[in-house]
Amino acid sequence: METIKHFINTIAAPKILFNIVVLSYLIIFPPFKFFQKIHDALGVRRLWTKKGGMAIFSLMFLAFAFGLTDGNFRLIVLKPDNVPIVALLFLVVFFVWLALHQAQDNDDAIAKGGKPKEWAESREKVLVFPDLVYIEFIALMIVAALLVVWAIGLPAPLEQAANPTVSPNPSKAPWYFLGLQEMLVYFDPWIAGVVFPTVILLGLMCIPYMDKNRKGLGYYTYQDRKTAINIFMFFWLVLWMFLISIGTFLRGPNWNFFGPFEYWDHNKLEALNNINLSELVYMIWLNQGLPSNILWREAPGFLILIVYFGLLPAILAKTIFKDLYARMGVVRYSIFAVLFLMALTLPIKMYLRWLFNIKYIVAIPEFFFNI
Amino acid sequence: MSLPPLPPESYYDPKKLDKIFAFVAIALLLSLIALFAKDYSRPWKDYQRQFHALEIEKARVKLDQLQLDLSNNEEHQRVLKDLKAAQVNLRQQSSQQEAINRQMRAAEIIQKIHTKESQFAKAQYGALKYRYEKAVHEFSPDAAQLKSQWDALAANIENLRLSIESDDTSIKSANDALALLQKDVKELEKQRAGFAKKGEIIEHRLKKIDPMRMSAANQLADMVRDLPFLELANPNYKIRQIVLKDIPEDVNFMRAQRVDRCTTCHLGIDNPDFVNAPQPLTAHPHPELFMSKNSPHPLDQFGCTTCHRGRGRGTDFISAAHTPQDEEQKTKWEKKYGWVELHHWDQPMLPASLTQAGCFKCHENQTVIKTAEKLNLGLHLIERGGCYNCHTIKKYQGWSKSGPNLEFIASKSTKEWAYHWIDDPKSIRPNTWMPSFFHQTNTSDPLSMKRSQQEIHSIVEYLFANSKPFALDSAVPSGDAKKGKELAASLGCLACHNVGAQPGLDEGPQGRGGHAEPVRTRDSLRREFGPSLVGLGSKTTLNWLYQWLKDPTKYHPDTRMPSLRLSDQEAADIAAYLIQDKSPIVDKPIPVVDDKVLDGIVLDFLKKSSMVSESESKVKKMSRQDKLVFAGKRLIREYGCYGCHQIPGFENEKPVGTELTEEGSKDVERLDFGFVNIEHNKEAWFKQKLMNPRIFDQGRVLEPLDKAKMPNFDFTPQEAEVITTALMGFVKDRPSPSKMADQGVKAAFINEGAKTIRQLNCQACHIIDGEGGGIQSTVTDKSFSPPNLFAEGQKVQPQWLFEFLHAPTPIRPWLQVRMPTYNFHASQINSIIKYFNYLDNQEFPFTDIYHPLLSSEELTAAQKMFSKDYFDCTHCHIVGNKLPAGTPDNWAPNFALAAKRLKPEWIVKWITNPQDFLSGTKMPTYYDPKNFDASAPGDILGGDAKRQIRVLRDYLLTISEHPLQVKQAVSAPEKAEDKTLDIHAR
Repeated sequence: METIKHFINTIAAPKILFNIVVLSYLIIFPPFKFFQKIHDALGVRRLWTKKGGMAIFSLMFLAFAFGLTDGNFRLIVLKPDNVPIVALLFLVVFFVWLALHQAQDNDDAIAKGGKPKEWAESREKVLVFPDLVYIEFIALMIVAALLVVWAIGLPAPLEQAANPTVSPNPSKAPWYFLGLQEMLVYFDPWIAGVVFPTVILLGLMCIPYMDKNRKGLGYYTYQDRKTAINIFMFFWLVLWMFLISIGTFLRGPNWNFFGPFEYWDHNKLEALNNINLSELVYMIWLNQGLPSNILWREAPGFLILIVYFGLLPAILAKTIFKDLYARMGVVRYSIFAVLFLMALTLPIKMYLRWLFNIKYIVAIPEFFFNI
Repeated sequence: MSLPPLPPESYYDPKKLDKIFAFVAIALLLSLIALFAKDYSRPWKDYQRQFHALEIEKARVKLDQLQLDLSNNEEHQRVLKDLKAAQVNLRQQSSQQEAINRQMRAAEIIQKIHTKESQFAKAQYGALKYRYEKAVHEFSPDAAQLKSQWDALAANIENLRLSIESDDTSIKSANDALALLQKDVKELEKQRAGFAKKGEIIEHRLKKIDPMRMSAANQLADMVRDLPFLELANPNYKIRQIVLKDIPEDVNFMRAQRVDRCTTCHLGIDNPDFVNAPQPLTAHPHPELFMSKNSPHPLDQFGCTTCHRGRGRGTDFISAAHTPQDEEQKTKWEKKYGWVELHHWDQPMLPASLTQAGCFKCHENQTVIKTAEKLNLGLHLIERGGCYNCHTIKKYQGWSKSGPNLEFIASKSTKEWAYHWIDDPKSIRPNTWMPSFFHQTNTSDPLSMKRSQQEIHSIVEYLFANSKPFALDSAVPSGDAKKGKELAASLGCLACHNVGAQPGLDEGPQGRGGHAEPVRTRDSLRREFGPSLVGLGSKTTLNWLYQWLKDPTKYHPDTRMPSLRLSDQEAADIAAYLIQDKSPIVDKPIPVVDDKVLDGIVLDFLKKSSMVSESESKVKKMSRQDKLVFAGKRLIREYGCYGCHQIPGFENEKPVGTELTEEGSKDVERLDFGFVNIEHNKEAWFKQKLMNPRIFDQGRVLEPLDKAKMPNFDFTPQEAEVITTALMGFVKDRPSPSKMADQGVKAAFINEGAKTIRQLNCQACHIIDGEGGGIQSTVTDKSFSPPNLFAEGQKVQPQWLFEFLHAPTPIRPWLQVRMPTYNFHASQINSIIKYFNYLDNQEFPFTDIYHPLLSSEELTAAQKMFSKDYFDCTHCHIVGNKLPAGTPDNWAPNFALAAKRLKPEWIVKWITNPQDFLSGTKMPTYYDPKNFDASAPGDILGGDAKRQIRVLRDYLLTISEHPLQVKQAVSAPEKAEDKTLDIHAR
């Protein structure tokens, strides 16, 4: 038992866990042929059958039940504050499964030359009253009852008057901001706290204008909207839900990582020796001092940024996104590419941090400008 | 593919939806009911119900008891009987009463008519006056007529007034007649009411709370007033709170008014009837001090959390932040109340064992906080241990250093002794207050032990290398140790010092490392005030000791050791006695200086401020002596030795320890518990730290300079707990000045004086304010011990006291114990004078100039009373240089001192009843306090006791050192002539 717990604690380390999550994601939502082959070989599509769904949930419940046998796990997971996040884990998995289950049925039907289930339903008429209003009202009452029972069972954890000289350790954002807070580990506050949230909102607003694909309107499908779903799911599941879960369950005192069965020890120390890209290039690779000229010093970083945002979209347009480019046109494609690449900087920087201890690609603390 | 047919009506089956709706609606209703039920059912309501029932029961019992008492009370029965008889009697005279009543009613009616008429007339009078004035102004011909009308009206009003007055008289006389008739009944009725009063109050209360005695309407209201929803009007069961604006709560950079809801459950806390009621309904265990209306801390003025802390707004067991005092109580509470620690509350309730910590924040300025014995002992231990030397504590600012002066150590001791002493002071002197710095739990591994040896060498070397020269008299008269022992015991040395076993402590194990510890008390601490003198012979030389005894201030100008005005021979005798006690430990060999280890120590210090290579070359250049002195200086700074000792080179250093002024308010997060498995709260940490200051290094890998350095005082668990009590009291939040104890100038002077008295340990010898006098146990006969200073402020004149404290002259020359000469500052003497006088409510300037005035008749009377035939004063009292006849244990102070020393009013009170001042005094009580005037000798001044005492007093005040008049009156024994005493030799 202890060995299993120890094993889980070990793989919960961010370096390993993030890889596992990304790899699983790539296999479940394969963007390339290579992963598609693995996807097919493993028969992942069976997950979206009813049996598969049962299996997923049984596994999740089993894992949860196993975890609850451990004191440290209980301490964190059963905290009244964290109950919604536990619910969130189950709900997200359930709705992803539900959507893909329906999509798979439709895709199978279409592959056989049929029509999706919704096609038939869309011919039907449903009355606003009683059909819609009645069930909405019932749903409202169910939610109200649920909230009341919840409030009785787990009362709000009221604390004493705040003391400005004592910060709680760990200090955590509200759960829905924990993804943003996690970004703060990898980016300068002005990027993680100001630029990215703005871009996320703008990007979400842009989606309807960029996505001209009329396939898949009004019915669940995966095959017809593969690229869109793959991209969205990556950011939604891996970069948002996953980071919120990490922030809730695995980030402990001093924002250190703790395995799910590890005691949150305030005295735990982790060596955090991070370097900037310029230091890596000049001091370690070239074995010389940093240039005094800021631009010269940060030249490697700027070069990478120019390549990343200037050349990469063009290269992608010629290769992976060839079809996409053709469909979207220059303007749409450019905006899409920039947004996409910006979003991709988060996992890239996470990898850079964990594998190479790189802190900033461009570091100009003189002007508070760090990327 | 054909389209499916459109559904004829709704998509879902409405019946099914209805069913679901019904089910969900019921679920929602149930959840809402649960919500209200949870909101309605509060644990405190159960307690209030219990209390309500108990209150009714107690009131009923009390009422029954009272009624029973009354029915058994003969006096009451008699009153009732008489009342009945009187009422019967009154009824018999009913015709008479009726007549008077009729008469009175008639008079009243007539008076009413007259009053009415008078009112009308007065109104007309005003109107007429105006018309008349107007007529005069306008030269109207009506003026004369109006004038006559007006005059007539005035006369009428006057008449009416007279009639009303005469009506009054007749009503009054009727009334008087009636009162006379009813007099007996009324008087008896009053007496009956007096008996019934207590019962009526209870009955009145019972009518309000007891449903059995309520009116029907109230009964109905009582039934419904606590129902859900209705309870918002005026429920029986409601949250009770006390709001205290002037004892605010500290909420981090802000102060909020304190709101205590404790009485919501602790309902009987201020009610003595509930002493034996179960928790939480019971009364406060000390109603004379707390909660009751007449106590110094009434409930509505001080609340509960002011002293006990905790969360005043909490209304259940857990949210009030109750704290169990031990494991046993904790398990009990967990079982009974489901107790868990309330996180997120910085000031949980003090466990019952530490409650006295709550006193400190208002009583900070007092030296002794009456009845807070645990806190007092804690503060006294802090004083004696000298905690304030290393840890700044505001209360102890300006107190002198606890340890001896080391500026001239080379003239006093040897390096060998110093090495052994620093190494392990308790091996030489098991009862010393010098704490142990070495051989501690974090320095007991072989490597640390080696390092410790070199550290001690360094410290010793620094002390001796920097010791200033001090010249000692080489010629010491040869002393007699046996005589010295007697002198040490009789002169009073043992009041502060002990030679041998611990003072006041019963035979316990020597050394305080073990478990079966003797218990320290404040009395024993006073007797440990000076250093223990065990093993003194190894510490110092005869010469030094002789010089020190002769004049301590010569060696150490700021010492608290007073001079006992020893003669050369006395000093030599005592020195010879004390020097005999030698410690075998000092003869043990000392480890050699190990250069390698020493280099390591020096390097550790050097590397802190300079480069490694530089440090290493520096070490190479240093001689062994240089290294020792260098390391010694740094180590003294590390360990903070200069906190308690004067050490050259450390005159302006800041103390090494954490400031403790607000330690009781510290966040528990700021305490490092390391790997020590104890409760994570302040009190547990303090206690652990006090018992073993190095414990929190346990299991840590630390560089020598990073280790905990607090020395070990070997406190017992009990001592650690009392000190923790004091520490927990050192808090940040303060009440507003109106709630501080001791307001006003007088109290400030009393506190100041008490502090001086504590600092000089006066109470080791004297009983002051009912406390002290521990020396008595070393004095063979109680009559030879230093005087009890009860009512000293009433007794002595301030000028005399000033001179006496400045340079004591014996009052009781027969005493062996000597009042020492202190190296007082004038302000200290004044503070003591003010202390005594304000303590006895004397008004500044504490004395009136008084001239005794005696007529010749009075003088003769006084002399007569003074003589053998009457009071025979000289039987015990010394007069001038004439000694009384008996043995010294019956002697009393010299009358010649009275005029200068005693306050005239005091002499009167003293002669009137000496037992009032000093119960058990040998001074006879000449006037029986119960039978004052009759007990006076009848043949003097007409037997007027008051006058006799005044005359006696005035006569005493005329006695000078050569009492000429006394000689005529006193027929002293002839031998007394020989018994003159050279008072001034002492």
